[in-house]
Amino acid sequence: MKRIIYLFATFFFLTLSIDARQDNSSSAGVTGGQDSWQKWGPTAGLKAGGVIVRAGYVIGGTTPLPLPAEIRKINEFSPRGGISLGIDGYRMISKRWGISLGAHFFWEGFHTSADVKNYYVWLETEGEITKGYFTGTNVTNTEMWGVTLPLLATFRVSPRWNISVGPYMSCYFKQTFTGEVYDNKDGIGYLREDSPVGNKILMSRENPTPYPDDFADHMLPLNVGIEIGGDWKALPHMNVFGKLDWGLTNIWSPSFEAISFRMYPIYATIGVAYRY
Amino acid sequence: MRLKTFAALALTPLFFASCIQDEEPNTECDIEAVALHLTSPSSCFFHDYDTLQTVIPADSIIVFTIRSYADVGLVPLSLRTTPGATVYLLKEDGSEELFQNGSLVDFSNEEIRWFRTVSEDKKWSRSYRIQVRHDKPSEGNLSFDFEDYRLDATGKYYEWPATEVFTDAMWKNGNPGFKISKSSAQPMEYPSTPVVGGGPDGSNCVKLETCDTGPFGKMVNMRLASGSMFNGIFDVSNAIKDALKATLMGSPFTHKPEQLRIWLRYEPGSFFQDRSAMPVEGIVDEPDVYVVLYRNEDPLGNKVQIDGGDVMTNPFIVGKGRLPHHLNADGSDQLSGNPIHGLTSEWQEIIIPVVYTEEVDETILKDKGYNLLISIASSWQGGYFQGAVGSKLFIDKLRLFCD
Repeated sequence: MKRIIYLFATFFFLTLSIDARQDNSSSAGVTGGQDSWQKWGPTAGLKAGGVIVRAGYVIGGTTPLPLPAEIRKINEFSPRGGISLGIDGYRMISKRWGISLGAHFFWEGFHTSADVKNYYVWLETEGEITKGYFTGTNVTNTEMWGVTLPLLATFRVSPRWNISVGPYMSCYFKQTFTGEVYDNKDGIGYLREDSPVGNKILMSRENPTPYPDDFADHMLPLNVGIEIGGDWKALPHMNVFGKLDWGLTNIWSPSFEAISFRMYPIYATIGVAYRY
Repeated sequence: MRLKTFAALALTPLFFASCIQDEEPNTECDIEAVALHLTSPSSCFFHDYDTLQTVIPADSIIVFTIRSYADVGLVPLSLRTTPGATVYLLKEDGSEELFQNGSLVDFSNEEIRWFRTVSEDKKWSRSYRIQVRHDKPSEGNLSFDFEDYRLDATGKYYEWPATEVFTDAMWKNGNPGFKISKSSAQPMEYPSTPVVGGGPDGSNCVKLETCDTGPFGKMVNMRLASGSMFNGIFDVSNAIKDALKATLMGSPFTHKPEQLRIWLRYEPGSFFQDRSAMPVEGIVDEPDVYVVLYRNEDPLGNKVQIDGGDVMTNPFIVGKGRLPHHLNADGSDQLSGNPIHGLTSEWQEIIIPVVYTEEVDETILKDKGYNLLISIASSWQGGYFQGAVGSKLFIDKLRLFCD
């Protein structure tokens, strides 16, 4: 995790320093003394507001945090869906500070295959209960359609750089959560029924055991988290942006016992925006 | 797409590599195999391979059978356990000592030795008993009335004791597998159940019924379970991975069976379904009863073990007898709308002769070189999860007559 933060920070400061140099050159007179804060600012006046229309590519996952020790290896990871279309309305309250409220429609998800060891599962299908500790390969697919409503504080670091942070709420229109378990590449795949010394039930990829159909029914329709973002004003009306939505509430209903840990949606979006 | 893949590739290792935690100590503590190290195994054992036993995960009683006149005494013992487990030998005064592989253990006088295994994380343990028993010569003819039965150790389903000739002196069946799929089932809702006073003469009999395996069975595409009875080992760990391999059929036998007689009555279920539960028009479910004698050691001295997959086709089969069925030209089973087994819903005694395709070697026979297998099922294609839910085969008074 530290590495990611480091990476983001390096990228941020690098672009910031380029930005600063450009600002210095422009204020040197080419624009005829026009304040670059004004030039790259809101459409009318430093304290005005505006609208930003965004289109982006979403990548991320829904994951337990930290990854539990039961997860030994991630074999595969690929995004599913990955589209975000949104609109933000903002108002500056000073030269640097503003607030923004948005609605971002998204389709996001992922597919992953992980090797697990001693992973507790509790499955109830029409009154039949199967529970125990699974060791082997666990495949998960999830997709979510919905809208995220972020309420953000925005800060103009420089004339062309905006960063924002604030809470968001996501409402889901539709969610899917499917998966299956089978043996790993070494041929190891089994459930120890009830306890690690219980019945051993071998599983194989020839006849994988799928998750019950109703997993998605146990997903909560709302999620709350923190969004952080950065906008770079590439052209007078066009931004390049990146944002990260970090879910802070469990995606599962509290009564759902099939998965023994809480899972959080963590999705990043990169894209372009039109600034009115 | 290329962008997606690239982004995923770039981010994934970065995100996950630093997040995988250290592996926790193992929690399992099974004995997976037991070996007795003897310099001349054939003086004690019927087969050299008998000195090594693979222990199925559900078992905790390990019995080696030696010749009636032999004695192993103090013998080096090796146990293969799941990784990280430690083993303790329980001493007569109740204390336990750490067991090291290769240590001498006294197995004289059929003494039972108790072992306790402890998992690497020290939170789980299991008890095992290992015994070396003398072979008890059997008289040959076998007779089963199915009068006695009891609930299994978990109290979920019934089981039937059998002659010592059978592995574990028990009849085996698919009930333990049914328990995995239908945990809510009551003992009388299992595929193999006792019927008090249901026999032809008013004594107890056994009902084998093809049952729906419920939502879990549907999930793993194993939608029905045939009622069954056989001798050998039911390895429940394979019930989902490879159900045909779960039925390890047959037990060593020193006589040449000639004829099996059994009282039966049969009611086929209303419609025959294929593996995906689609009704198959014009097909009627059939029961199955067969007796097989097969050579239990190949020319290289390896163990030969017949399972549900090759019970009719294994090349080591020397003789067999079966309830009549329509068969294809290649000998495989042919589903049909007019079965020829001749059973009805009224009790009748069926006689099944054993037909030999190969000579039985008397010396090898006396030396436990052949396995006898008796198997009975309410749906003859139950191993392939095809049949009619509700097919009922009632069985009683099984007799095996030998030469």
